Amino acid sequence: MDLTDLGAAIGIAFTYFTIIYLTGLGGLFSERSGIVNIGLEGLMIIGTVTGSFGTHFFTTELGWGLPWGPVMGLAFGALCGLIFSSVHALATITFRVDHIVSGVVINLVAVGLARFLSQIFFGQATQSDPGQPHLNTIDVPLLSDLPGGLGRAFENLSPAVFVAVLMVFPVTFALYRTRWGLRLRSTGENPEATRSLGVRVAPLRWQGVLLSGLLAGLSGAFLSVEVQYNWREGQTLGLGFISLAALILSNWNPVRLMGAAALFGFAQAVPLRLSDAPIISALPPQFIRMTPYVVTIVAIAGFVGRVRPPAAAGRAYEGAGTS
Amino acid sequence: MAVESKIPAAARGARPQWLENVLGQLLALTIALVIALVAGALIIIAYGESPFAVYGAIVEFAVTDDGPGYVLAIATPLIFSALALAVCFKAGLFNIGVEGQYLFAMVPATWAALELDFLPGPIHVPVILIAAMLGGMFWAAIPGVLKTTTGAHEVVTTIMLNGIAVSFLSWALNNPLRFTESSAGTNVDLRSDRFADTALVGDMGQLFGFRPSAHLSWLFPLAIVAAVLVWFLIKRMRLGYEARAVGSSPGSAQAGGIGIGTVQVKLFLISGALAGLVGMQQLLADKGYLPQNYQAQLGFTGIAVAFLGQNNAIGIIFAAILWGALSRGESALQIRTDVPREFVIILQGILILAVVIVYQIAKRRLARRQLQRAGAEEQELEDTSGPPAEVVLAEGER
Amino acid sequence: MTTDTGAERTAPPLVVLEHITKRFPGVVANDDVSLELRPGEVHALVGENGAGKSTMMRVLYGMYPADAGRILVRGNEVNISSPRVAIANGIGMVHQHFVLVDPFTVTENVILGDEGRHILDIDAAHERVGELAERYGFSVRPSAVVEDLSVGEEQRVEILKALYRGVDILILDEPTAVLTPGEAKDLFANLRSLRADGKSIVFISHKLDEVLEIADRITVLRRGKVVGETTPAQTSKAKLAEMMVGRPVLFRLEKPDVERGEAVLRIDGLLGEGTLNGISLEVHAGEIVGIAGVEGNGQRELAETIIGLRHPAQGSVVLNGTDITGWSVKDIRNHGVAYIPEDRHEQGLVLDMTLWENIALGRHDDAGFSGGPGVMLIRKIKSLADRLIRKFDVRARSIAVTAGTLSGGNQQKLILARELDSDPKLLIAAQPTRGLDVGAIEFVWRQILEQKAAGRAVLLISAELDEIYALSDRILTLYEGRITGEYAPDAEPEEIGVGMLGGDGAITEEAS
Repeated sequence: MDLTDLGAAIGIAFTYFTIIYLTGLGGLFSERSGIVNIGLEGLMIIGTVTGSFGTHFFTTELGWGLPWGPVMGLAFGALCGLIFSSVHALATITFRVDHIVSGVVINLVAVGLARFLSQIFFGQATQSDPGQPHLNTIDVPLLSDLPGGLGRAFENLSPAVFVAVLMVFPVTFALYRTRWGLRLRSTGENPEATRSLGVRVAPLRWQGVLLSGLLAGLSGAFLSVEVQYNWREGQTLGLGFISLAALILSNWNPVRLMGAAALFGFAQAVPLRLSDAPIISALPPQFIRMTPYVVTIVAIAGFVGRVRPPAAAGRAYEGAGTS
Repeated sequence: MAVESKIPAAARGARPQWLENVLGQLLALTIALVIALVAGALIIIAYGESPFAVYGAIVEFAVTDDGPGYVLAIATPLIFSALALAVCFKAGLFNIGVEGQYLFAMVPATWAALELDFLPGPIHVPVILIAAMLGGMFWAAIPGVLKTTTGAHEVVTTIMLNGIAVSFLSWALNNPLRFTESSAGTNVDLRSDRFADTALVGDMGQLFGFRPSAHLSWLFPLAIVAAVLVWFLIKRMRLGYEARAVGSSPGSAQAGGIGIGTVQVKLFLISGALAGLVGMQQLLADKGYLPQNYQAQLGFTGIAVAFLGQNNAIGIIFAAILWGALSRGESALQIRTDVPREFVIILQGILILAVVIVYQIAKRRLARRQLQRAGAEEQELEDTSGPPAEVVLAEGER
Repeated sequence: MTTDTGAERTAPPLVVLEHITKRFPGVVANDDVSLELRPGEVHALVGENGAGKSTMMRVLYGMYPADAGRILVRGNEVNISSPRVAIANGIGMVHQHFVLVDPFTVTENVILGDEGRHILDIDAAHERVGELAERYGFSVRPSAVVEDLSVGEEQRVEILKALYRGVDILILDEPTAVLTPGEAKDLFANLRSLRADGKSIVFISHKLDEVLEIADRITVLRRGKVVGETTPAQTSKAKLAEMMVGRPVLFRLEKPDVERGEAVLRIDGLLGEGTLNGISLEVHAGEIVGIAGVEGNGQRELAETIIGLRHPAQGSVVLNGTDITGWSVKDIRNHGVAYIPEDRHEQGLVLDMTLWENIALGRHDDAGFSGGPGVMLIRKIKSLADRLIRKFDVRARSIAVTAGTLSGGNQQKLILARELDSDPKLLIAAQPTRGLDVGAIEFVWRQILEQKAAGRAVLLISAELDEIYALSDRILTLYEGRITGEYAPDAEPEEIGVGMLGGDGAITEEAS
């Protein structure tokens, strides 16, 4: 049996998993701290354009070459995502603007800001030159030798994929085994409780939102630097919203988020590589792309188990400014 | 109990609360505008241009020649979109699914435009608009019904439905709505067939001497009518009253006999109908067919416009026109200055951020002031009212 | 301090509040109040709702900055700028509404903010919390998740949080308001063991029996001022009550003499969601039936079931011979039921809406207010509002101000105006005078008596026995969702108390 297509699809799914998981983790930090962040898409967009520019700048202009050029590009994208997310933090935490409104504004502004930056960076508004430098890909030893074409899944992967996969350990540890994680989660559930025990809410929420910017920015940079090798307007294609969907489906849990991101990542890969497979060939590819959204609606409507967001997420906390 | 109130009649003549609110909002808007313009000026200066020249060019392009035609044409879909948001917002519902609703609605509208071309002109366009409204209503009914039956939060469901609508539209464009006419060139973009002339909304701009390329259509006055109807709905109709009650205090509304679920679903339907009309400007006035690179983001931009207009139906008209004037400014920048046209989007972004923040601060201050004054007033009134009546009061036993 | 009895002045005070003043927009919550707390005492702080008890203690706990005055802890002046500083000074507070993180375990809730090292050692923390609980006889499992706990257990977690931080001054804000009588008894046992351990406790309450039972000393507040300090030995319930309200209480209004008519409301075997366990009762025309009982025994559910906000699992509600079980609120209202809800902000008024819009609530679709299909005739509503606001003496600048700007008393008058004007057959009055000052209470009572005089049926639900006595023609006690006794209005409070606690209050036969 030839499983080359399946292998290839899984390989692509790894890539999408990385994007969705990193952004989803960003959303997780923000929402666990009590700030709903539907601006993930916008944060990713900023990551794509700045990551692409950073890579170009460090690799070519500064001549740092591989691997440091793309690495610095990814870091630059993450940093810019963080800086941009401070707008959301400022609006929602300091000025207590409605989280949804602020998130929508973030998304709107990001589209324009990306074009604006692109104009400055690349002299054109909607893309950078294709074929930019990127990190050397890796074949996973042993796994890439799997028979029947399945090995394809583990060939030519960006090193960043492994970073994303391994991210679950430090994140889970930080959230559930450290003082900081306990406090962060408490502000998302009941900020009054946090404050009444003498812990300041606002700094924790700032950290949560800035982390979401960092991770979504990194994710966007990964997309432009490591996947598509250039920046193009609209290349995020709603992946920020899919990440949000994965986050909801995961019940705001970093381990379950891996599963949700893998599922949705695979759904993205199917139309690209498995369109000839039985059953799938009968379905229009657009319908397969819908699955993350449909699954999430089914989950949020409680048809299969209940998802439960952090209790205080989305509510302005009056004490945040004063404490 | 026939104790006459001792409120002096004069107190009723004081400046009414609503006027104070309007004045406060105008002030807040002005402050936000100044903030945005100053921040924008810094960027312009960084480009080595004069802010006055750049802003002057934007204003000039908006008000002279065909400018107003372009501005109002840009404002048209934004009015529908912002109204769709505002209707739901009154009841505390955040319909960020306007985006998906209008994208979805373009499918039945395109179908009606292509397939019902046997209808005479005066009927064809209304039928298309109705098809669009029905499409939007259908797509908006889903979050409404899910909310009332399962409690699923509308923000989440509508975000997901937006994603589904994009894919659905893409599917429709590749399948039932795909062009059939033999194309002239070899490398034509994916799109639907061109609509018959009966399906197009007439150009209104010519009446004012604007070029047809401005695409100012009869949809603009329709948008104004829609705004007035929404205003009437909110302020004068039972449903609007119920919506506001549900939005401010669901518990009290329910205890007052208002069915929360019914109100929410009705509002989602109205919102969806308005959302359905968002895409019509580009289908029936700009293009005359459904293109693959259709204009997206109108639903989200509508949210910005709605907040700029403080979710007030009439305010939204002005907000949309302001937004349109800024957008029109892109051309001004391109032709007249070295500042990239994307500057306008940044300016709009700063403006809307400044607006939400300034409104938020203003709202808090106003609330505090009113509370303070109410407290002070009470003291005063208490003082003038004399000792409480002790007529029937018997001293207690036990 | 004014009324100190020298003899008790053995130990130096642990905490002294001196001349504290705290203002909020439009209100002086604390007006030059002073207080002394001694080591190893339970110090009760009593007063009516809004007297400033909680505010005073929140100042001490660093939640509000005082506008004037100073605080001394163990003889040193301290600036308590936040709860963190308060805790560092050995002051802990348990709020009336618990501030717990529901999905966290007991241990996580307890250690939050005081976790020790950056990396958590959950096992060690479990052990420490378990030891602490055992030491004071708190039965609560450290690894239990808070959302699975009972209210009484949650309260213990709150107290543990304070003890964990080594506080020796514990402030409890209305700790028994949410407890069943059994849980309250457990709490008092816990408090006594804390006192025996040398802790000082501030006990905020307006329940005088409890205060007399547990307190060593009592400070009384009225309208933001300290009006006196006493001990249980020196005072009595009646004296305390007089201090609290500023004049002898238990005033009585003359009950109008009205012929009792047909049964207007007939409830039969009402069962629902564990809170209603088979309630049956009748209310007749020209009669006020008072439902007495400790809160949380089904009062709210009973009222909401009659008005249609809840639907019973079993049983029936019959109004004037028509079975209205399962009807919508709107239909029930149209059938002649008026409702004064126990929470006027949650269920009575839309605070963001104007007075006239609030007057319309519930009758906004009356034919008389209709100006065409779906359209409201605002002019008519406004003129009605104008009339009602005068008639019911609602003090407001105009009918166009929002309801949120009114005082509690005026808000309640607004609700009365709306509900009573519709000429109901049955009035449900749930906690109708909660949080009101004496003048407003009297107004509300008179209005309710007037309903009786007009031959309407009134179901009065109140946690205040005084109120039940003052208005009722018959008194029913409610306990755990059942009617446990029926009493004449001249029954002894002790008898009714038995019924309120579920004991078999011998059902005295019809006494009207």
